[in-house]
Amino acid sequence: MASAAPSLESLMGGYQEGDFAAAAALVNRLSPQLHRFFLAQLASREFADDLLQETWMRIHEARHTYRPGEPLTPWIYAIARHVRVDHYRKIKRRAVREQPLEDDHEISQPGARGPDTGPDLQTVLATLPESQREVITLLKVTGLSLEEVARATSSSVGAVKQKAHRAYDRLRKLWGGTDAGKGAES
Amino acid sequence: MRDNDIDDVLKRAAGASPDVDPALLERISQSIAPTLRPVRPMAPMRLLVAALVLICAGMALAAAATLGMHGIQKMNAVETSAIFPLLAVLLAISAAVSAGEMVPGSRRLLAPPMLLAVLCAAMAAVFALLFQDYRSERFVAQGIPCLITGLALAAPVSMVCWFVLRRGFAVDRAAAGIARGALAGLAGLAVLELHCPNFELAHVVVWHIAVPLLSGLAGGVLFGISRRGR
Repeated sequence: MASAAPSLESLMGGYQEGDFAAAAALVNRLSPQLHRFFLAQLASREFADDLLQETWMRIHEARHTYRPGEPLTPWIYAIARHVRVDHYRKIKRRAVREQPLEDDHEISQPGARGPDTGPDLQTVLATLPESQREVITLLKVTGLSLEEVARATSSSVGAVKQKAHRAYDRLRKLWGGTDAGKGAES
Repeated sequence: MRDNDIDDVLKRAAGASPDVDPALLERISQSIAPTLRPVRPMAPMRLLVAALVLICAGMALAAAATLGMHGIQKMNAVETSAIFPLLAVLLAISAAVSAGEMVPGSRRLLAPPMLLAVLCAAMAAVFALLFQDYRSERFVAQGIPCLITGLALAAPVSMVCWFVLRRGFAVDRAAAGIARGALAGLAGLAVLELHCPNFELAHVVVWHIAVPLLSGLAGGVLFGISRRGR
């Protein structure tokens, strides 16, 4: 009979106690989600890999700041989004010093698009401003709650809702629809 | 297209994202193994906030006692009961924001630049209501010593606060610096309210409030710059 998988929070507790198995399990459990987060932020596969490694280095450095009993994902994504922001700043600085940033350098190639599957993730999200893209990614791609997104992005639940609504309005306009709903909050 | 359709597109596209290379996951796990040792979690937020408030209030009181409590002795009951409780509330909020900035994923009460603005606006509003002396005699000559006194206390308070929060991890170092500078500046402002007997409105609004403002800005610049050294 299979036992239930340990929660992320209990694995983090093990990581803080120096348990390698817990740390490795945490890396395996969270990395796919983090990798999707970076890919959805228009990073290429290669950059997403780099950002993932850098994020785990920072998580390792800051692991004592996670307090048992608190939700883990906002803590993880607060670090991950700043890794991405730092990386983005570096790219921009380099672009200013050297030459204009080529779009295809940073933005990954759109994935396969079948006749009935609609637009792919990166194409959809590329149409959104950065702050809205981040909120939509955290809510819909990584599956965080409004409260968790608010904590991860150091903002309020109201601000997250507003960004999500604006993003949905924009997507509806781009895709030619007119219906409104509450999907952004779900 | 309806919201549900957008949800479907996002979910389908997210599900179709490529898997992470297992070799990469193995490399990450192995890279943290050599330095994997038990760590003690940071103190609870309430403890950190209480420590910061006590440090700021204690250092402000000690400094004012040394310089002389001429300001509070000259105040009437209304002025005392309006200014010091407000300072205490702002101190508690600033301490909570400062501590929160050092723990990733904390619930944010206020963004640090907003904290600085609220703090200065609240103190200016209370001063404007309480002090009706609109003269400004020797405005600069009397103001500079107050500014120096306030900032001279803010600097060591900031260092002690840094020591209390040294185990934290600021993801946004400039914002953390602003919060800590504002907190230390509030301690400097508290000293001036206890010590300075000059109740000219222009003097208190400009020179006293300049202490948390400059301290917050300096904290943001200094702590923000220090990121490059990491």
